[in-house]
Amino acid sequence: MILRESFESAINSIKANALRSFLTSLAIIIGTAAVIAVIGIGTSANKALDAEIDEFGVRNLSIFAGQKRRGGVSSGASPLTLKDAYALEKVTEHNWLVAPGIQRGRQVQFENNNMQASINGYSVNNFPVRGFNIEYGRLFTEKENLARKKYVVIGSKVASELKTFSRNLLNKDVLIGGASYKVIGILKEEGSSGWQSPDDEFYIPILTATSRIAGTEDLGWINVGIANDANVDLVMMSIEEVLRRQHDIGPGENNDFRINDWSQYADLRREATNIFALLIAGIAGISLVVGGIGVMNIMLVSVTERTREIGLRKALGATPKIILFQFLVEATILCAIGGIIGVFIGTFLLYIFASFNDWPFAMPFSAIFGSITFSALVGLIFGIWPARRAAKLDPAVSLRYE
Amino acid sequence: MISTENLEKHYEVGPEKVFALKGINLSIDKGEFVSIMGPSGSGKTTLMNIIGCLDSPSKGDYFLNGKLVSELNDDELAQIRNKEIGFIFQSFNLLARNSALSNVLLPTKYAGLDEKKSLSRAKEMLELVGLSDRTDHAPSELSGGQQQRVAIARALVNKPSIIFADEPTGNLDSKTGQDVMNLLKNLNNNGQTIIIITHEDNIASQSNRIIKIKDGLIEVDNKNV
Repeated sequence: MILRESFESAINSIKANALRSFLTSLAIIIGTAAVIAVIGIGTSANKALDAEIDEFGVRNLSIFAGQKRRGGVSSGASPLTLKDAYALEKVTEHNWLVAPGIQRGRQVQFENNNMQASINGYSVNNFPVRGFNIEYGRLFTEKENLARKKYVVIGSKVASELKTFSRNLLNKDVLIGGASYKVIGILKEEGSSGWQSPDDEFYIPILTATSRIAGTEDLGWINVGIANDANVDLVMMSIEEVLRRQHDIGPGENNDFRINDWSQYADLRREATNIFALLIAGIAGISLVVGGIGVMNIMLVSVTERTREIGLRKALGATPKIILFQFLVEATILCAIGGIIGVFIGTFLLYIFASFNDWPFAMPFSAIFGSITFSALVGLIFGIWPARRAAKLDPAVSLRYE
Repeated sequence: MISTENLEKHYEVGPEKVFALKGINLSIDKGEFVSIMGPSGSGKTTLMNIIGCLDSPSKGDYFLNGKLVSELNDDELAQIRNKEIGFIFQSFNLLARNSALSNVLLPTKYAGLDEKKSLSRAKEMLELVGLSDRTDHAPSELSGGQQQRVAIARALVNKPSIIFADEPTGNLDSKTGQDVMNLLKNLNNNGQTIIIITHEDNIASQSNRIIKIKDGLIEVDNKNV
């Protein structure tokens, strides 16, 4: 009954001073909204990252050429070649997809429009390893690769660069570096990831690229697609073994190639996002504490204003504890309401932010629960001093307070 | 019912002691209707605070219903105020945002009484003071006389042994003031002990005992006026 009376009088008092209560809890509202939005943005960013990785379908290791060193002396670049790729393909124990590739920049022309573009020589494996899917037409086949066909698959945004529509380009010829290539397929939109924009690029069979465009069998990279749950260390060791044998590297000598595990970068990025989100949430959390000081200030004013009421309640039989409780409840409710409003605003901000960035909307329940609890706690802690002052008031004196 | 022995109260003002009460020996029986009079600064308010359990004496004993209350702590005093004493104030002191009924209910909440019983008791008290049709009105919607009657209902709701009324007619015109007095007299006729503080002779003369305080001592104690 006392509990209910405390709640009722707290709500009454907050309602009676609605504007003041709102302004008081504004800092709490802003603080909670900021905490919620930042944590939500961090979570959504990681969800987006996960989705990006999932889109890869497989885990992707990339091998790049490095420096050849003998006895600490660099003796020029040691290229990756098609032969290295074939050697890797022969290893079957890991079920990996070997996807050698090469890239060159060339002028591309279609009718009267042209563009500077990245021309990728892809083996057929490159498409599943990168997670690229066809929208119109088809991909080239291994047979067409071996035949060094002048076929090209284009990214989804190439057409607009050439001021036409994707379907207009299908089965038409474009000029790549002056030579005529038939567009046999158009990829689905992939979206840019970091520095790459696969939607703007061209994809031709790897052998066509080495023989007709690059004029060398030196590759730009070899991608190795492995299952998501594969033992990465073991796979890397196998790759090393094959390539060291291929490149004739003796024991104790350094590798002349590099192996990148892209998902490692994803892990790093996820960690960085988390740390950043926590940092900003922490800073926003400080504004909750500052808000708590504001609440304390107003509660002290309220206690002074309501000295007579407190005296009356005491005269009618309220013990110091009951008065203490009443003011603690009031401060706590004030902050908790601020916290709840803040959660709504923060969630709304996150929703807008996530839609603009095309991220999935993710809001951990623990963040909602945690920030409301935290703001209520702020109210409780900063309400103690004003509430104790109210509880200690002398009933005889406060009844006559003007 | 009330008995005090050499009740003293002093305040420390700097190094000096200022005496508000210098030794009050007073005894009030059940069913009495007592007026306490005195000029300002006489100590009547201090006396009222002490026998109303709002304050403790510096020295001396105060027995209420045979219980030594002058040595109780704050929580125990709060309980005595809640159960044994009903206060009526000059300025009514109703909670502005609460209805008449919930104002009357407030002491029952502090007493932790059964909600249903309290509700019917509160309604009964409002009926007794003639306001059963105003239970949902806020104090601002009531006249001064009506507000004071709500305060009387509130004072009665926990069945206190004593009613303290501090200048209960001070903020009322003479007609409504007389209505309030008639109500108090009625309660007294039904056995309610009432102590009233006033400076108006025509109010004091309606009680059956007048105690005049001066300089912290009882100057006059007239029974059965």
